[in-house]
Amino acid sequence: MITLDKKPGINTEETPAFPNKIIKSAVIGAGAISKEHLSFLSKSENVDLVGVCDLSRIAAKYAQERFGAKGYFTDYQKMLEVAKPDIVHILTPANTHKKIASDCLKAGIHVFCEKPIAPTYDEFHELYNLAQSYQRHLIENQNYCFNKEILAIKKLVADGIIGEVQEVEVRLVAPIRNGGAFADENLPNPIHQMPAGVIHDFITHLCSLIVRFIPDFQTCNALWSNHGGGDLFKYDDLDAVVIGGSSHARIRFSCHTSPKCFSVIVRGSKGYVETDLFQPYLRCVIPRGGELLSPMINHFINGCNFIGATFSNFRNKIMQQTAYEGIYTLLDETYEALIHEQDLPISFEDMERTNKLINLLLLEAKKV
Amino acid sequence: MKILITGASGFLGKHVVAEAIRKGHQVRAVIRPSTDEKSIIWHNHPSVELSRIDLRRKSGITDALKDIDGVIHLAAAKEGDFYTRFAGTVIGTENLLDAMVKVGVLRLVCISSFAVFDYNNIPKGSTIHEDSPQETNPLLREEYAQTKLIQEKLVYEFEETHKAQVTIIRPALIYGRNNLWSTLLGGRLTDNLWLRIGAHATMPLTYVENCAEAIILAVESKEAIGQTINVIDDNLPTQRTYVKKLKKRTNALPKMIPVNWTLMRSIAVLMWAYNQKFLKGQAKFPGIFYPGTLDTRFKHFRFSNARAKNILNWTPKYSLDTALDISCREVEFIDIPNSTLPLYPSPSQQLDISNQEVKSNIPSLINSPIPSPIPQVSTNSNS
Repeated sequence: MITLDKKPGINTEETPAFPNKIIKSAVIGAGAISKEHLSFLSKSENVDLVGVCDLSRIAAKYAQERFGAKGYFTDYQKMLEVAKPDIVHILTPANTHKKIASDCLKAGIHVFCEKPIAPTYDEFHELYNLAQSYQRHLIENQNYCFNKEILAIKKLVADGIIGEVQEVEVRLVAPIRNGGAFADENLPNPIHQMPAGVIHDFITHLCSLIVRFIPDFQTCNALWSNHGGGDLFKYDDLDAVVIGGSSHARIRFSCHTSPKCFSVIVRGSKGYVETDLFQPYLRCVIPRGGELLSPMINHFINGCNFIGATFSNFRNKIMQQTAYEGIYTLLDETYEALIHEQDLPISFEDMERTNKLINLLLLEAKKV
Repeated sequence: MKILITGASGFLGKHVVAEAIRKGHQVRAVIRPSTDEKSIIWHNHPSVELSRIDLRRKSGITDALKDIDGVIHLAAAKEGDFYTRFAGTVIGTENLLDAMVKVGVLRLVCISSFAVFDYNNIPKGSTIHEDSPQETNPLLREEYAQTKLIQEKLVYEFEETHKAQVTIIRPALIYGRNNLWSTLLGGRLTDNLWLRIGAHATMPLTYVENCAEAIILAVESKEAIGQTINVIDDNLPTQRTYVKKLKKRTNALPKMIPVNWTLMRSIAVLMWAYNQKFLKGQAKFPGIFYPGTLDTRFKHFRFSNARAKNILNWTPKYSLDTALDISCREVEFIDIPNSTLPLYPSPSQQLDISNQEVKSNIPSLINSPIPSPIPQVSTNSNS
């Protein structure tokens, strides 16, 4: 594991990085995802929200007023100079991440960046090396890995309940062609410029989940398609199988099936566990009560779990708890780790493996 | 005048452009890049020049403002989550105003909404007028009201900072072809099933052509500069009357479950109190379970259009019955003067339908589309 060298302001022996346990944070980009980040930042006791920046003055001002930031800016360089944040959340379109992240790192500021952190594997490494040279943290948002159900699956795996992981399937169904930001021909979403087109907006989620269970891959077969046609979308469908050792992973993105889902299935040598992060539940099929009774007991227990999930999902909907719930756990753990100078919840290896897998998939696209 | 009209291909916009042409103005109509211009009846009228820009980005707006005397800003996002609406309504307005300052065009008629008032705290039975209190806690309101309130603030700031000549028009709920059923009647449960809330509240309505006429009068009027003007028709119906009149003209109304207004409001108040006391205000219920939203749509008020009449010398041309008759016709007519006619046509010339739009855009409540050789006009209001 690569660790940061010790240096003033981050991990010195004499002075803790954040002696008063408050981190000065700022946000660049006040679009839809900023709501999730700012909701956390405005409520966390560890955070002093010093600034919000957006090219739109009214968007920055609105975010400042709505979430109680100290200032608002339309020029992020000015914000870095004036507000002097310790960490910046970069929430701008993906094609701008590298430039803004570089500028923040060079200014001695930690970076928490929305996914995808960079368009290519090489650029990710370039950025990470820059972070290392300036001894700053660089963190890519991989929030779905911190959703309750994924943490529960990870625990089942860690406890050996489902045995050794043999297969992982991650399937995301999103209606990207049925209106909305991705299908907007009047103002094409900048994500269309990324190597995987719109699927690049989702691919970090898909791959980050896979590598949490199967860390490395040798073989990759990926079919990138544009079933819907047209010039706006580069791809609208991905069907990939990757193999690492004897473990197989299936990565699926579709916009032609319904309903929306984000299904994760992890199959082990003893049993399997599955969930859908958009309508969360946990179905765990493992040996229970001997070969004869096991199917029946599994059905009964999982039936009860399903009924429970119905009520908890209804409650979550009313209480505005969305599939983004993992981001709050991730940010909380990140800020705690920064304050206490501990390992971050998303390590370099997590990001490296994720971006390596994305690279493998993209190499398959180039073969076509 | 040479007028830039944003949101020109929308439900209200296409009528505002037609009215501007009828009044002899030159129009630069802003439509979105992907809009099919052939679907717009006035797209090749000699008084109209199309400008394909998306106000959510700055590029092209200053060019569109070249030689313009005044701007009618209709474009707004009526669908999507808060951030989608914010981009379409607020950032679009910000970009437009910035460009206007840049090129020195400072005459603006901005179309706001009746949604900005604080219906929750205005006593029942009061008359809503331009100086009625505005919502002070927008987060308690639906996204449309939130973004319209921010938009108004932006426009007032533009007026004050740049000494701009601004008129804010707040139309009541605009109805017309394809927009006859209304959230003022109830809450949608399914596609064809509605909860009909109350029956006796007065519906704040304005027919689309009446509203379009008021908007053009506003841009022409010097007296309207610096004014905020509510646009609402005369002889407003109650919910019951409106539904009765609609039933006479169409059979394709959704099914309705009637709910007493007092009962519904009591439920909403209880849910609100429970949310505040036990759920720390974190719960989000459907809009009709919020007293603020419920009051906006169903509380009993009276409405004044005195300022519009006094300042604009405007009288709603079409009564409710006439407007509903027009809206429920099997074909739609938008009369615009033939290019060979004088700029200010006589009333008889105005009835000339030689250059009229005839389209098969049948109200959604009627399931009998009639084929027409002329394409439909988009009713999307974003530009």
